[in-house]
Amino acid sequence: MTLVPAHGLALKLARLAVILAIIAAWEAASRTGLVNPRLLPSASETLAMLVNLLGRAAVRNDLGVTAMEVLSAFALAVPLGCLLGFLIAENRYSADVVKPLLFFAFSIPKSIFLPMFILVFGVGFAQKVGFGFFSTIFIVIMSTTTAVESVRVEYLTVARSYAATPAQTAFRVYLPAMLPVLLEALRIAMIFNLTGVILAEMYASRDGFGHQIATWGENFQMPQLLAGVVLIAVIAIAFNELIRWVETRCSHWRT
Amino acid sequence: MQPLANVTPLNPLARAGAIEVRNVSQVFKTANQDVVALSDVSLDIRPGRFVVLVGPSGCGKSTLLMMMAGLQRPGSGTIRINGAPIEKPDPNRVGVVFQEASLFPWLTAEDNVEFPLALRGVAKTERRAKAEEALKLVGLEGFGKRHPHELSGGMKQRVSIARGLVQDPPVLLMDEPFAALDEQTRMTMGDELLRIWAATGKTVVFVTHSLTEAVYLADEVVVMSARPGRIVDTLQVQLPRPRTYDMLSGDTFGALRDRIWRHIRKSA
Repeated sequence: MTLVPAHGLALKLARLAVILAIIAAWEAASRTGLVNPRLLPSASETLAMLVNLLGRAAVRNDLGVTAMEVLSAFALAVPLGCLLGFLIAENRYSADVVKPLLFFAFSIPKSIFLPMFILVFGVGFAQKVGFGFFSTIFIVIMSTTTAVESVRVEYLTVARSYAATPAQTAFRVYLPAMLPVLLEALRIAMIFNLTGVILAEMYASRDGFGHQIATWGENFQMPQLLAGVVLIAVIAIAFNELIRWVETRCSHWRT
Repeated sequence: MQPLANVTPLNPLARAGAIEVRNVSQVFKTANQDVVALSDVSLDIRPGRFVVLVGPSGCGKSTLLMMMAGLQRPGSGTIRINGAPIEKPDPNRVGVVFQEASLFPWLTAEDNVEFPLALRGVAKTERRAKAEEALKLVGLEGFGKRHPHELSGGMKQRVSIARGLVQDPPVLLMDEPFAALDEQTRMTMGDELLRIWAATGKTVVFVTHSLTEAVYLADEVVVMSARPGRIVDTLQVQLPRPRTYDMLSGDTFGALRDRIWRHIRKSA
């Protein structure tokens, strides 16, 4: 039998099959004792625990705290990063001066600054948002400069020849031309942001879902820990896919 | 009583569509030398004429066109359109058609055409009506909802022309608009442009590398030379209109093209 070229639906089904196979292997490994079930609770047990956890007010409260921190850091870092990136890239001189410095800053692992954030902000909301912001802003600035550079100079000449004001050029030319690259930046920024906030919660915190995960780990509560991991993974993937869906809708003209 | 300033002068260069280039020079400074892009260029273009600028690369023909569009300021000298100096882009006096990739790919054909009107805050219904009219003029009726990537190269340039005409400026400036098209499409687009020009009575200034295209389209061919960029000859093309494909092989056509070629060979 020869393989027919896979397309749309077939590919999706194949992907689903891979996921199901992994879950089945996980279940089997745990049940047969191939892997110690105390280290790796089965998929079904993890799922049951997840449902149980979501029923607890304390867990929902922690999720709410984390969501607030993530969204606050994101809402601060993205517009500010876009604005800074735009200002840097729009001027040739500032781009030449600042861009290498951004690469320097970006290459440093952000986690080493975490103790300083605790010293400055204490342990709490501001520390998490501050660190989430710090983890995110560099990638937003860098992506925005790339996005600005992706705007063809012909488009700007056209806008100028029809006497567009700077605001009209920004919103009618720069923004739509940059949108596909910006959406991708948003997606990647969220990954950095989520990592930053959860790391800050795991490192030193009194609440938040990252704090819960750290506690479950320290107490060797594997079903809770795995359920938490699955939950965060699902949320992160869902956000990523949402933005990717918007991306494909907004960049149909990019061929 | 009418104030004197409002009385229209009888000078033909002050009429709608007249272009007056006076002693325009431009020097570009590079790291090790000054390049004279344009040296004391003067040129009068009467309203409604089809004028083609030709010359070797670096002769400053595109620079001159960009100056007429108000997109570049001359180092010295003046350019007047409708009798008034042009110091910055003025879409009411000048429409510009660029090379192929100048349409906004995220907008449909009609939104591209409406773009100049949208910038001026013209109401949606009026905008749409004018865009439809302009698209009809360039032979693209019914293609308004398509995006540029769904159009052929020739169709894209028709949309660009419609965008240049939508505000009904007396002057249309075209910077090598058909350079990226294949030979057949290029010929067809030339005929289409002449039809549109005849229908609208615009003054057209057209920059090209193609000598055949220059003679085929023009009332007047302005030949420029490089280093320094200046005008070396102005030819009146007396061929009757409408121009036809047969004229390309005629003696008049050949003589004109040879004369341009000799100038360009000398300076290149």
